[in-house]
Amino acid sequence: MTTTQPAARATKLFAAAGASFLSAAETAGGMGVLFGRVLVRMFPPRVDRGELRRNLYKMSVKSVPIVIVTALFTGAIMVIQAAPIVKRLGAEGLVGWAAGFGTLREIAPLLTALMISGRVGANNTAELGTMVVTDQIDALRALAIDPISFLVLPRFISITITLLVMTIYADALALFGATYASRALIGVEPQAFVHGLTGGLLGFGDVANGLLKSVVFGLVIALASCHFGLSTTGGAPGVGKSVNATVVASAAGIFVLDYFVSFLLG
Amino acid sequence: MSAQPRTPATRGIAFDVGSAAAEFARGAWELYSVFARTLYFIAKGKREKGATAAQMYAIGNKSLAFMTITMGFIGMIMVYQAGLQTQRILPDFTLLGATFLELLVRDLAASIGALMLATRVGAGIAAEIGSMVVTEQIDALRMCAADPIDFLVKPRFLASLVMTTALIVWAGAVAFAAGGATAYFAFDVPWRTFANLQLVDAGDLITGLTKCVAYGGAIPIISAYCGLSTFGGSEGVGWATTRAVVSSSLAIIALNFFISAAALVVFPK
Repeated sequence: MTTTQPAARATKLFAAAGASFLSAAETAGGMGVLFGRVLVRMFPPRVDRGELRRNLYKMSVKSVPIVIVTALFTGAIMVIQAAPIVKRLGAEGLVGWAAGFGTLREIAPLLTALMISGRVGANNTAELGTMVVTDQIDALRALAIDPISFLVLPRFISITITLLVMTIYADALALFGATYASRALIGVEPQAFVHGLTGGLLGFGDVANGLLKSVVFGLVIALASCHFGLSTTGGAPGVGKSVNATVVASAAGIFVLDYFVSFLLG
Repeated sequence: MSAQPRTPATRGIAFDVGSAAAEFARGAWELYSVFARTLYFIAKGKREKGATAAQMYAIGNKSLAFMTITMGFIGMIMVYQAGLQTQRILPDFTLLGATFLELLVRDLAASIGALMLATRVGAGIAAEIGSMVVTEQIDALRMCAADPIDFLVKPRFLASLVMTTALIVWAGAVAFAAGGATAYFAFDVPWRTFANLQLVDAGDLITGLTKCVAYGGAIPIISAYCGLSTFGGSEGVGWATTRAVVSSSLAIIALNFFISAAALVVFPK
């Protein structure tokens, strides 16, 4: 290191930048190819019903507890953060609207997606990754079963449906938590809170905006988790690395797409 | 109760609830034990040269790009949504930047940043330690009279305390800059109006820094506990990593609620 010439150091920097660009391109390309393969099998849908039902149960029903906890706390936090702003404007009747706007459009879909990405996405990668390192995918191929329609397509559909349903659920629970948190913490009665929600400043468009985002987030989590799961190499440490890559890629993808979807919908 | 032998079919809901509660209590106790032993070894343990610095590099420097990208986008999204929200009531953007900065200092930078770190750092720690458990490297450490808490968890804990705070300060700055750019391009708010510090007071700063330290401590302890309790090959490593991400994220959301509520009482506006 001490004798490295400036030119050599610059080359190393370019090499590192190029390598990380190549690996990002490889990931994006891999996900694109996987998405294409899934789409081809979607029309007409060739999906294993039993596998779909198993995955829906495992991903949706089993995620209900963490979604409940996350949503209730999130609603309460939204009220705590909106309280000083609303008080400053002297409009305590608006706290329902202020907390509701942020919750429905942004925070509920975003936090639900992050939690589902941690639970479902990571778990899905671990499961597929384990199948890869124990040669179960090759065994499927040897039995002439298409791994994409047997394993990936049901997971793809399940994750997207899970996120949509859980976001609807989280919206409702977060608003419920916010209603009672505002009574306990800043003394706004539930009637006033609900009036702020339904008083005409919030419309179905705000809810639809959040739900559309949740579908996009679901696709991102599904793509990332299946891609990294299927491209696992190298035993138990490899599975750990794949799971790590999935949660990082999902989180980054969720934030970046969140911005573009918000901006496009306006 | 009759003397009939109990079969799984007759256990009923009380059994399920009870065993879940016992499981939860045992998990909480073990988590506390990992935390207490980490503190003990910070005071009494062996000092391995460079271990904490290496972890600081792995946790801090390697997360920098990820944090910059995600928090930049968060800043843009939040200002855009807040601008839309303001536009519906009264189109007055003079306090947009000041309010955003206050919210960022008090809550958003720490909490969203820590959620990002929980996914990256938490998953990394759990995967690494979990792989060591299933490949019996932890047992090898014990054979060499090196306590895994002292040797593995302590450097990660110290590194995370420092680097979480540093990364969150950086992330807040990035989010504010990105928000300022969005306010300028989307709502024509000049930078001078946006960069307004008047609403940030000492209470906000103390709340934000308390959150940084709390999250920075919680993430490595929970993830290390999940990693150390791994069993059963590659599937076990995957499970441990999942559990680390979910538990750290839940811990952050719960801590956020309690610290925010306490701050509302201690620093009333």
